[in-house]
Amino acid sequence: MAEEELQHVEKGTVLIVDDDAINREILKHIFSPYYTIEEAENGAEGLHRILMAPEQLCAVLLDVVMPKMDGIQVLRRLQEAGMLQKLPVFLITAETSDSVLKEAYELGVMDVIGKPVVPYVVLRRTQSVIELYQARRRLRRTVESQQARLLLQAKQIINLNQGMIEALAAAIEFRSEESGDHVRRIHDITKYVLLHTEMGAGLRREEINEIALAAILHDVGKIAVPDAILNKPGKLTAEEFEIMKTHTVQGAALLERIPQLEAYGAYHYACDIARHHHERWDGRGYPDGLRGEEISVWAQVVSLADVYDALSCKRVYKDAFPRERVLEMIRSGECGVFNPRLLACFFSVEEELSRLYQKGDAI
Amino acid sequence: MTSFCKQQLADAGMDVADALERLMGSEALLERLLKKFLEDENYQKLCTALECADQEAAVAAAHTLKGVCGNLSLTVLYPLFTRQVEALRQGDWPAARALMEEIQPAYLHLTEAVRSAADCHEAG
Repeated sequence: MAEEELQHVEKGTVLIVDDDAINREILKHIFSPYYTIEEAENGAEGLHRILMAPEQLCAVLLDVVMPKMDGIQVLRRLQEAGMLQKLPVFLITAETSDSVLKEAYELGVMDVIGKPVVPYVVLRRTQSVIELYQARRRLRRTVESQQARLLLQAKQIINLNQGMIEALAAAIEFRSEESGDHVRRIHDITKYVLLHTEMGAGLRREEINEIALAAILHDVGKIAVPDAILNKPGKLTAEEFEIMKTHTVQGAALLERIPQLEAYGAYHYACDIARHHHERWDGRGYPDGLRGEEISVWAQVVSLADVYDALSCKRVYKDAFPRERVLEMIRSGECGVFNPRLLACFFSVEEELSRLYQKGDAI
Repeated sequence: MTSFCKQQLADAGMDVADALERLMGSEALLERLLKKFLEDENYQKLCTALECADQEAAVAAAHTLKGVCGNLSLTVLYPLFTRQVEALRQGDWPAARALMEEIQPAYLHLTEAVRSAADCHEAG
């Protein structure tokens, strides 16, 4: 906040609403050493001025009997606008009938000060209230700015987390002599399928984002697989394949050993996906041989995305297959059996997914 | 404002010290407000409204005059207008009109004193 603006706020502006010029002059004379003064000649004008920019005012001195709109009507409108909690309004009146006073207090007027005014009294009764409201306003502003800062920090932490997860996954991929693109595509495919097909039905957008992030960590357990097996060109022996298969269990175990991750929304998805992204619909996958709906929707989607991406790209043990062949292999179950509903969803958006493999394109 | 002027105003029913206290001791402001009082048309409005029995206009004018008199510490006129506003609100026309017999001379006395105070200020 600029220095001069701060001073303006500190001095504050008092609005005098009175149809009588002499009354306004007297109040102005009393208040002008301490406050900036604005005047309104009737209720309607005063109400308009208040509603135009209430935050600029620190108090309103309001007459009761006025043409156009009287003080009580102004109070009613201010109460409807929820203004009386934020802005102290003082009735300055010769009106002492009980019904008027009662209504004014019920509406939420701060105080009623009798006319003709006594300067000492009117100043003492208004100034302490004005200071209280100004202090409250300052406090509210401080809290708001602190809240904004905390929100920003929370956002930065989330971004940092995501960056760390991506870096970890990419590091593992580099070890298997792949670029970091595989995990990024798994993230994109998983998210696209869940967002654009009925596989994502019942999941909130926020949950889908968490699942896509968790998908990045599906192969994190490969860190426990020796280089010789991980990077072996050609077919693995049965023994080597058994070791390779442990990356699922190892991945879940690794994630479960990081307690700080537990509070993170993506955590449970990540453990489940790491362990079960090689399960198959017919129960012939690994490590647990889950079948059908026993496999979570997200683990199913990631396993198909993983197969689709592996077939579409060159790996140490194989060349990339042409797109037609990839789709045929998936449809015929050559890489394991998938949920028929998942396959239908997948094929309905495969055209869009295939763009991920055209250089420089994104979905 | 000379003490002679102040005495004249006091004789016409004004508590000058009380009025000055309300104005934080500013004689300049008091002179300005007295000038406004002379220019104020509510007294004429009140007389007209009483003649035509226009209650709304009469209450408005009497109420404003009451306020002005209070602010200027016009200790004679203030209670008279206060009673008149009450009478008018209750629709008691005879009482409201009867009060004019006291209000009129007091009002004339005061405006005269204010005028001569203004003159003696200009002369001084």
